[in-house]
Amino acid sequence: MSQRWLTPGLRRWAYRLVIMRLENVAFRYRRKDPWVFRDVSLSLAAGTVTEVTGHNGAGKSTLLRVIAGLRRPRVGAVHGRPSRVGYAPERFPVDQPFSVRTYLGHMAAIRQVPGDPVATWAERLRFDHLLDVRLSELSKGSAQKVGLAQALMADPELLILDEPFAGLDAATRDALPELISQLAAAGTTVVVSDHQRCIEALPGVDRLRVADASVTRLTSDTPTTEERVTLEVEVSGDEAESLESKLRADGYRVRRRER
Amino acid sequence: MIAVVRFQMAGYVRSLRVLPPFIVVVLFVALILIQGPGGPDASDLAVRTFADVAAFMFPVWAWAARALLDTQPDEQRALTATAVRGPFTPVWAGLLAAYAMNLCLGVVVLAVPLLQAVQAGSPGSAILTGCALNLLVAVPGTLLGAWTSRAVIPDPGVSLLVLLGGALALLLLGIGPLARLSVPMIEWLRAAHDGPGAFTSDFPAIALHLVLWSLIVGALYVATSRHRP
Repeated sequence: MSQRWLTPGLRRWAYRLVIMRLENVAFRYRRKDPWVFRDVSLSLAAGTVTEVTGHNGAGKSTLLRVIAGLRRPRVGAVHGRPSRVGYAPERFPVDQPFSVRTYLGHMAAIRQVPGDPVATWAERLRFDHLLDVRLSELSKGSAQKVGLAQALMADPELLILDEPFAGLDAATRDALPELISQLAAAGTTVVVSDHQRCIEALPGVDRLRVADASVTRLTSDTPTTEERVTLEVEVSGDEAESLESKLRADGYRVRRRER
Repeated sequence: MIAVVRFQMAGYVRSLRVLPPFIVVVLFVALILIQGPGGPDASDLAVRTFADVAAFMFPVWAWAARALLDTQPDEQRALTATAVRGPFTPVWAGLLAAYAMNLCLGVVVLAVPLLQAVQAGSPGSAILTGCALNLLVAVPGTLLGAWTSRAVIPDPGVSLLVLLGGALALLLLGIGPLARLSVPMIEWLRAAHDGPGAFTSDFPAIALHLVLWSLIVGALYVATSRHRP
């Protein structure tokens, strides 16, 4: 998909012709279970970033798994899914007997990635000092970075990120939206669920809301929230990081103002 | 495909899940097989050992295959599924990894009987038949393990019961009129106990039965894999 002879504008236009479609998709886990969502028809154009929102348990992760091809819809079909899919789960499975380097080496071999993607992505996501640590000894944020690295290393055409910002340190959390933006500009279809609301500042983000067994595309004039109030909270410098993480994890927008 | 096989085998070995079946096999060799055949029928007994080993190893291979396929956490199975290109690649790779690991267990368990058969002067064709029988029996053993793995039966207690019950049911089914539906364990034991000549001459029919059983059960396993989470 790399039409390098096109100007950036024409390239973005050309990417949008490549569209993945969900047609009348419905999903439930078992035959007599209630539907997680139904009658879902939507398009995901190449080079776009789509944010999936919704309450806990609304079915965001299930929708992401259906889009990634990890769950088959009970009804309907998914068309035009690219062959190179990167998927980073909400909780990376650390219960594996590998060091970070060995694990990512195996994933790079499975994905047939040339070169040294392990060192490259470890440096980009700032976990190169953890390469020889066992997966089971990683903190939540570090494990999240390993999950992101295995999803990103193969230059995916479809990138699915399930709560990628949870537990990340501030530097990586700030860098990730830019990385997502670059991938989208290169033609990757990015679908992100993001309780921390770290990507809402990205320009041109499409939004899907999962609620009441349906998936709705939010337009810019659709109110995403009710009336918002700004609170100012003062904390000591050493508590700021943990409080910010907690508030973001609870779904609040956080802006830091240094004094 | 090979990279997935290596990944699964490496995880199985590094997690030490390989140890329980390995210890069982070593104990079987050390306590039973090491004694070796003696007397005037040593040559025949040495050939018979190959058939007995195949019968003993059938549930062990199923158990080892189940353990290997259950080593990866469910979420890692999802990551592997997105990393490979073909939808059936993880299924084939899992079966191949389990079979390759079972062949390693087979080498451990057959080394001593092989030496004993050569020392006892057993016919070369019967020795080769014994090795080929074990190579073939490892396939249905692997498939029984795959059918009882977590991807098919999520509850570990139920899956262990199904594995043990399945192995027993296949043995009992082989005795009755529905023997053709089962793994031909009774046939290969009977042929080996009739002597090296009968063992060699009956082998093609037994091998065909094993291949057909494996093809049908394996095809069903692969075909239904897309409907599993």
